[in-house]
This record gives sequence, C-alpha cells and structure tokens, in this order.
Amino acid sequence: MDKLDTELKKTCIDSRHLQLEKAPLPESGILIGWLRQMLLIREFEVRTMQAYQNRLIGGFCHVYIGQEAVAVGSIASLNLDDPIVLAYRCHGHALVRGMDPKYCMAEMFGRIGGCAKGKGGSMHMFDAPHHLYGGHGIVGAQTPLGTGLAFATKYEDEVLEDGKSSHVTLCYLGDGALNQGAFYEAMNLAGLFNLPVIFVLENNRYSMGTSIERGTTMANELHTKSDAHGIEHAIVDGKDVLSLYQSFKSIVDWCRTESRPFFVEAQTYRYKGHSMSDPRKYRTQEEEAREDEVDCIARLEKFLCQEHDVTPDGIKQLTRQVKTQVREAVEWAKESPETPMEELYKDVYVDHWGPFTGTSKPQMMQDEPQ
Amino acid sequence: MSERIIEFREALCEAMSEEMRTDQKVFLLGEEVAQYNGAYKISKGMLDEFGPRRVIDTPISESGFSGMAIGAAMRGLRPIVEFMSWSFSLVAADPILNNAAKMLYMSGGQFGCPIVFRGNDGAGGQLGSTHSWCIESLYANVPGLKMAIPYDAYDAKGLLKTAIRDDNPVFFLESERLLSITGHVPEEDYTVPFGQALIRRQGADCTIISFGRPLYFCQEAAIELAKEGIDCEIIDGRTIRPLDIETMVTSVKKTNACVVVDQSWSFASIGSEVASQIHRYCFDDLDNFVHRVHSDDVPTPYASNLEQAYLPNTRKICEAVRGATYNT
Amino acid sequence: MPIEITMPRLSDTMEEGTLLHWYKKVGDVISSGDVLADIETDKATMELQSFDDGIFSKIIVQEGEKVEIGKVIALITEEDESPAQEVSETEPVQEVSETEPAPTKQDYEQGMTISPIARRLADEYKIDVHNIQGSGPSGRIIKRDILQVVDTTKETSSAAATTKPEEIIQPLVSEPEVVATSHSIVSIAPWRENRSEPLSNMRQIIAKKLVESKQTIPHYQVTMSFDMDPLLEIRATLNKQLVSSGVKLSVNDFLVRCCALAMAEHPAFNASFGGDCIYYHGPVNVGVAIAIPEERGGGLVVGTIRDADQKSLRAISQESARLSNKAKEKGLSMEEMSDSTFTISNLGMFGVEHFTAIINPPNSAILAVGAAVEKPVVRSGELVVGHELSATLSLDHRVIDGAMAARYLKTLKDLIENPASLLV
Repeated sequence: MDKLDTELKKTCIDSRHLQLEKAPLPESGILIGWLRQMLLIREFEVRTMQAYQNRLIGGFCHVYIGQEAVAVGSIASLNLDDPIVLAYRCHGHALVRGMDPKYCMAEMFGRIGGCAKGKGGSMHMFDAPHHLYGGHGIVGAQTPLGTGLAFATKYEDEVLEDGKSSHVTLCYLGDGALNQGAFYEAMNLAGLFNLPVIFVLENNRYSMGTSIERGTTMANELHTKSDAHGIEHAIVDGKDVLSLYQSFKSIVDWCRTESRPFFVEAQTYRYKGHSMSDPRKYRTQEEEAREDEVDCIARLEKFLCQEHDVTPDGIKQLTRQVKTQVREAVEWAKESPETPMEELYKDVYVDHWGPFTGTSKPQMMQDEPQ
Repeated sequence: MSERIIEFREALCEAMSEEMRTDQKVFLLGEEVAQYNGAYKISKGMLDEFGPRRVIDTPISESGFSGMAIGAAMRGLRPIVEFMSWSFSLVAADPILNNAAKMLYMSGGQFGCPIVFRGNDGAGGQLGSTHSWCIESLYANVPGLKMAIPYDAYDAKGLLKTAIRDDNPVFFLESERLLSITGHVPEEDYTVPFGQALIRRQGADCTIISFGRPLYFCQEAAIELAKEGIDCEIIDGRTIRPLDIETMVTSVKKTNACVVVDQSWSFASIGSEVASQIHRYCFDDLDNFVHRVHSDDVPTPYASNLEQAYLPNTRKICEAVRGATYNT
Repeated sequence: MPIEITMPRLSDTMEEGTLLHWYKKVGDVISSGDVLADIETDKATMELQSFDDGIFSKIIVQEGEKVEIGKVIALITEEDESPAQEVSETEPVQEVSETEPAPTKQDYEQGMTISPIARRLADEYKIDVHNIQGSGPSGRIIKRDILQVVDTTKETSSAAATTKPEEIIQPLVSEPEVVATSHSIVSIAPWRENRSEPLSNMRQIIAKKLVESKQTIPHYQVTMSFDMDPLLEIRATLNKQLVSSGVKLSVNDFLVRCCALAMAEHPAFNASFGGDCIYYHGPVNVGVAIAIPEERGGGLVVGTIRDADQKSLRAISQESARLSNKAKEKGLSMEEMSDSTFTISNLGMFGVEHFTAIINPPNSAILAVGAAVEKPVVRSGELVVGHELSATLSLDHRVIDGAMAARYLKTLKDLIENPASLLV
C-alpha cells in the first residue's frame, strides 16, 4: 500500500521535457465501474482459458490476466470516438471499449455471432461502432496503423472539416514490438507529421519466453526509445489503475491539444504464459509470487474499501454479477451457430465478382444501436 | 472527334488529379511526389494544385507509410500510395498483403481498405536485379486485392480512375518504359472497368495473351509472323485480378492455339495461371499445349545485351507462336 | 452437481496428456487458481489450475496414467454439496477422414498421339485417324492434318460470336492488311539452310525396328542371278489376255508366287527365331515393301499378301496393287501391315541392279530384287542378249544356314526360269 500512496501523492508525470500535472481522480461511481471492468476482464480471460482447454477455442490464444489496469486506466482517459488499435492480446481492451463479452467469446468459438463472424479469431477483435480497429497478429504491424488512424482523424478534422485536430489515437504494443522496424517507421512518421497518436507500451517484460534484457537494448529505459524521434515519453505503473489513469488523462489531453505523438511505457506483468501453450519455465516461481502480491485488482479493491466505503460484500456481489455475465456470454457463444459455409467467400471483396459474394456486417453491429 | 494526344504519365496525373478534385478523401503520398514533382514526374503540378496536406512527401519508409496509409483507409479515407518502384514494395509486403488485402475479411466485414498502391513494375532500363522486379506473380496469389496493368495512356487513365473509385485495395502496375509513350485520351470523364480484357489485334491462327508492356513486343511479333502467313490475335488482359478468362477462352476456341506472354519469371506465375485456365476451359479446342513466354529464369542482368535477351522479347514470342502452331 | 475436471488441451497440437503428479488429495479445499497437478503434454510439462472453488472430492486418473484430452480426471464438489457419484464420460469427437478414390489410369494407343481439336474435327468429319500420318512432333496428328484430308480452308475473323462488345483500338504500330490463310503446305525451307525435322511416327518405327533387326539378327547375304526371259515372255502373253479384266501382272507378282511356293520345300524360310526354338509359321504371308512418296511423308511400309502360296497370280497381282495404292494414299491398316512371314523388297523399277535389304523382324529372310537387265548372257554355250535379274537374300543365320539358302535359291531359280510351273 505504501507504493500506491507514494504514486498517488505524485502530482507530476515522469516525462522527458514536459511538466504535466496529473489529472484528478474521478468520483467513486466511476472507480467502481473500473473495478467491475477489471473483474470482467479477469473472469472473461479465466473462462477463455477454460474454453481453450475444452477445445472450444482453437489456434493461438493470449490472455490479459494481470494487465487489466492498463486497458481500463488508459481507455478511461479517452473520448468514445477516439480510435484504438491493438496487438493480439486484445480481449481486455475490446471489453473495456464496450464490446459485449458474448460477441467476443463467440468470435473465439468461431461462430457467426462473433464480432468478426468467426473469421478473425482470438487475435482479431474488431468493433467499428466502438472505434476499435483490431486485434492484429503480426508483431508491430499495428503501429503504422496507429499512425495512420491518427493521420486520418487529423485529416478529417483539419482538411475535410476545416477545423482543428481533436482526436487522439491509442496504439498498444508489447515490449517485443520494440524490436520490429515497423515501430520505428511508425514513430518517425508520427513525429514528422505531428500526429496525435499515443504509443502505449505494455511492458510485461517478456516476449514469449525471452526476457526484455535478452532481446532489447536499453531494456531498463525502454521509454527513452522515442527520444530518437523527438517524441515525448513517460513511464507509468501498469499495476496501479489510479495513477495510471491520472497520468494518461493528462497525456491524452496534451496530445489532443498539441496534436503531437507520445510514447508511454506502462510497466506491468502477465500472470499466465504468453499464450495457451506456454509453460512459463523462463520465470521463477518467486518472481511470479512477488508480482502476484501487487495484483492490480486487489490493489483497487483495497483502495475502494479504504477510501470509498466499498464493502467486501459489495465486492463479492460485483464479482458474482461479473461471473454471471461471463457465464451467460459463454452460453450464448456456445448456442451461436457455426459460421455458415457461405461466409467463406464473403468479405473478400466489397463487390460481387467471380466466386466472391460481397460483404455484410456482423450481428454485433445489427443488434446494437450505432 | 479530334484526337488529344498525351503521354502515359500525364494520363496517370490526370486520373489522380480529377479524382482528387471530386473527392476530398483522396490524397497522394509517396517518396518525392510533392516538391520533386514525382521521381518520374507523374505527379507534376499536383502539389501546387492540392497543397501539402493532400500531396505528401514521405520519408524512405515503405513499410511505415504503407501501414499508415492502410490505417487511414480503415477510417474511410482513400489514399493513393506511390512506390517509386514496385521493387521497393517488398519491404512493405507485410502491411500490403496482411493488412490491406485481409482487413475486410478478418474484421468480418467491418473495415474495408479503399486504397491504391501504384508504381513502376518491370525491367528494361538496365536498373539491375533489385530494381527490376515484376511483382505481379508474387502478389496476385493473394485473395482480397485487385491488380491492374495498363497498356497505353487511354487505359492508364481509365484503369487508375476505376482503381481509385474501387472500395477494395488495388495494386496498380505501371511501367517506367511506357511513361513517355503517347496516345489519344479523351477529355471527358471515362473509366475502364476491371475484369474486361481487350482484343488489340484480331487474328485467326494463334491467340497471344499478355499484360502491360510485353504487349508491345507481341504487336511486333504479330507483324513479323504475318509475313510468314501466321495470323495472330492479341488479347490485352488489362487486369490480373479479376481475370477476364472468358474473352481469352472465346479467342482460343476460335484459333485453337495459344501463347501467354508474361514479363515475370515463369515458375508459379501469371503465365502459369492463365495457361492452366486455358487448358482447363479449352481442353478439347487446343491443337497444341499453351506455350509461354517469360523473362528468363535468372535475376535481371545489368548488361544491355543480356537484359534485352532476358526480356519476353519479340524473338521469343515469334518462336513460341511458331511452336504453338506447328510452324517451326 | 460435482464439477468435472477434464484433461485439458494445453497446447494446440496436444492429443493426450500424462498425469505426472497430483498436488491435492481428496478432501482438500480448492480455490480458483490453485495448481491441482502437473501434466505432461507433447511439448512441455504444464500446470493444471483449477477454475473453480470447492472441495477436491475424487481422483479418477492416477499418477502416471495417460489419457486423451477431454476425459474426466477428477471431481470437485461445491462447498454445500455431497461427494460425487456418477462420472460421465466425454468422448472426444472422432475425425473421419475420407480418402479420395485413386484416379484411374488412361489407356493410350501405342505410338499414336492426336491433339484434342484434331480428334474433335476427325469425329466431326468422320475421318479414320488410323489412316493419317501426323505431321506434329512424334507423329502427332494435328488440326492441319485433318483439314488437309477434308480439304477445306478455314475462315478467319468473325468465327465465334463474343458475349462482350469488341472494341478495337488502333494499335500504335501500323501493320499490313490481315489475309485469310489456308492451311495447306508447310513452307519449304530454302536450301542451304540447316534445319532439323522431327521424326514422323513412321520413321520412328522404321528406325526402331531396323536397328533392332540389325543388332539382334546375324545377317548374311546370298546372291543369285536369274534368267528372266521365259518369265517375261509368259508375262507378256498373260497380260495380253488379262487386258479386259484390268489385271496387269508385274514381275514382282511372279516373284511373290515363286517365293511363296518355294516355302513348301524350305519351311525354314517361313519361320522365326524363337529364342530357344525355331517357330515355323503355318500360313505363308509374303510381305511386299512399298515406298511412300515424299509428299505423303516418305518412308516405307510392308504390306502383307496373306496365303500367297494359295493365291493365283491374278489374285496376288490385284492384292499387291491394292495395297500399294492404299499405302500411298491413305495408309494401311494394322492388319494389312502385320503377320508377314517373308518379305520381298524390289528396287527394280528404279533400275537398281543389286542391293541388300535388312530383315524385317520377325522374318528370317528378305529377298532384295533388282531390275531385269538386258545384257549379254551365255545360254547353252552361246553368247546372246537376254534379261538377267539379280536377287539377294539376307538371312538370319540362327535359322537358315548358307547351304539352306543356296538350296532355296535353287528352288526359286527353277520356278522363275520355268514359269509354267507357276500355273499349277
């Protein structure tokens, strides 16, 4: 709890040149909402693992357990129409952004009810109404897309609407992506063209089985990698949703006004393996136990009980609600029919030609009001 | 109607400019497209007309700026990405194939990618092996993209307009060797549809199918073969995806002999695809197997004599037609 | 209702797992996240974690056991429940793979190839492709060959109606007017130019057969001259009589009959070498070598006159003429070209006096016949002008010895120089 206190007491962000003050915390209703979101992510990911082991989910599957605070705290600082783009560990962000867990689960089950009609899978969560631009499998490939989304919002705001750039794009990446060339090209372009994109490095210290020290130069100063492109950087504690939000809110607001990129390193930890087939032999049990002690959910729970009159019973109720919601999502996904054969040749091209049958939107977009 | 003769490069410029005038979402980016007026002067004058927000010089960063353009296209903008040479697209292969071509499918129909990638494709200017790529056979394999390859100024403008208006990612293959050739291009707005091949020369004895620059070699070969009494029909495919196999099949059913001329290397190529489809649809109409002409199966040499011999040239086409028609 | 713990799929390629070690025993309290066991997969040893809270109530799979994924390995009861009863077995879904039927092998006629369009045209025009020598590579019959037979000229342009509108845009280079071409003759290459012509089907067969013959059969030759005057006289007489019936006997027709009759006394000449035996043929089928004109592709074929020893001169003559004409026009059928037991090759009509021929397997002998030359000859001790014909036998020494050959030729001489005996 001491570390949390110290962090909360800090009013400024550790940034390169900027003097940015941390934003104030929102009121307790919102904070409880964050707890619910984190519990939802955790329960969802636990059941995802179970479903994978029961063969309902195939292929690659990467769960977000332990990193929930980053998604919740960073997305909370955005407007609803700010674009987000992610790597493949994307279920958590999709849920926080507003995707109903049933569409997310159905997608992994390969059913027609999935957000991508079952044709994307675990790594490819897309949600157009909520401005979620995927879920991308190739490491680092999403970073130029993030630059592009920021380019597009700026073009729309300034060239098409003759106004001022007013959107911010969040582009998430893992520490492994720091070794891909595409990321540096993306940063160079963002810095050069003054694009309002925040590259959020979710540093969980391992690229699959390779610890950061074994794969990346300047492993303990990753945030400084943006110096090479003249881009501002900051470090935040990825296990503490409160201070993370306070930092992020200021950074997002600054980017929105200045239309400049930013590079934020969120130091976090994933409790499970890189993916479902990873026995985690590259980490010691002591290390895992140590990280477990500073679990982001436990910390928020403690804070809420101490500072915001939340009771353990209240938390239990919240937990049960979330478990029910996830269970219902799993049931719904199981009931959702297998993606029909005619979908095989759909969405290859927008138009009909040859064997290709044009395009159609997923059920998710038809059910929910746009 | 009076003829308006302009260069192939001017036709490309007109296509882009006219589309950018009517649709604000269209913009051009690439190396040297703005202040330099285009490495091959294709975008000459466009910076002056449209300004630096819509005609954008990029750093040498094909992977980065292709990905950036694709991100923008996901939001609904309509970028035109100029590769100085399609040879440079190889470093951008991941975004253009994994993101652009597959976005609509992977997102279950939520996000399309209305983007055009264009640039010089092919050899012939002694540019050496790394700058002389014909990428059509590499990329055409991938579903989700379209591919067009114009023959003359008229088609250059018409096909590029169609490409820009198409909501799918389009790979547009120009040729540095053709940029200066001139032809009639009408003033009024017109487009050339995708998936419609054109008979460039009518004939009775042998169907020659080709795309892009090699068609000029085909025309020369046809003149020479006519002296020998062999009458060639030349078909310009115009687009590789979609492929207008119907026009080609109708022709081969008439002539009973077919030669495919493809400037890329022969193994697993456009030539093999077209030949395979002709064999499939014209099995009972063929007098001989489909003959193919390609660039020689070697990296492109620099020396002029070697390079000219390496190309799918007139001599090779004549030999192939004679072979296909048993006139050796 | 107890919660079933099943063998989990811990890697995307895992089919079964071995339970190495249980960390919990029956009665232990379990929380979600607790490690229950170590499981060995195809890739690594992984921990099995509990997803639920409860009491560990039953171990079903023991340490060291290997089970398929999906099978129940243990049970947990929720805190307010009694221990487990029935265990439901979940069967993993069996994958049924279908094997595709093996493709059937096509039968090809030995040595004959024909292009698809040629085959179609042949059917359309009802042409027997067996009678055609193909001008394509390896004797492939191609469109041109059929059309030559049909003798039509193909039309250019307009042929099939296209479904799409045809636009013809002026090509950038000017060209001469397109002319309708007929599929007639291959352009003859100017002389002095090196060129290679692919072998026709026939030449390929000739090449193969004769090389085989020369390589496997020990050839030797025996020559004899024959006084032709009696034969020529009787021939002239008979031909005068046969004018009305359209039959014209040739010298060769006589020779065919002579050779055939001689077989009766010399059966070895109607035999074949059988490896470990001599195979004596029953019927006497004399093959006559027929040269095909260059315009028709060149080469030679051997037409068979069956049962030549039973046929009259007239019948032999008619048959010989028929075979010769057919070979030069349409080509002979397989039946007409096979089963000869002895062959005659006659170059007399070209003025050749003497030559040797290569045995036509599986024959044992071939008679090479020259012209009946008018020359000074000695008859009954006197020098007179007469007609002499030189004929050379090539023989398979495995079947026929020199003495046998000499005796055969003696018999032949008797028949030729006493042609009246041919009439019986």
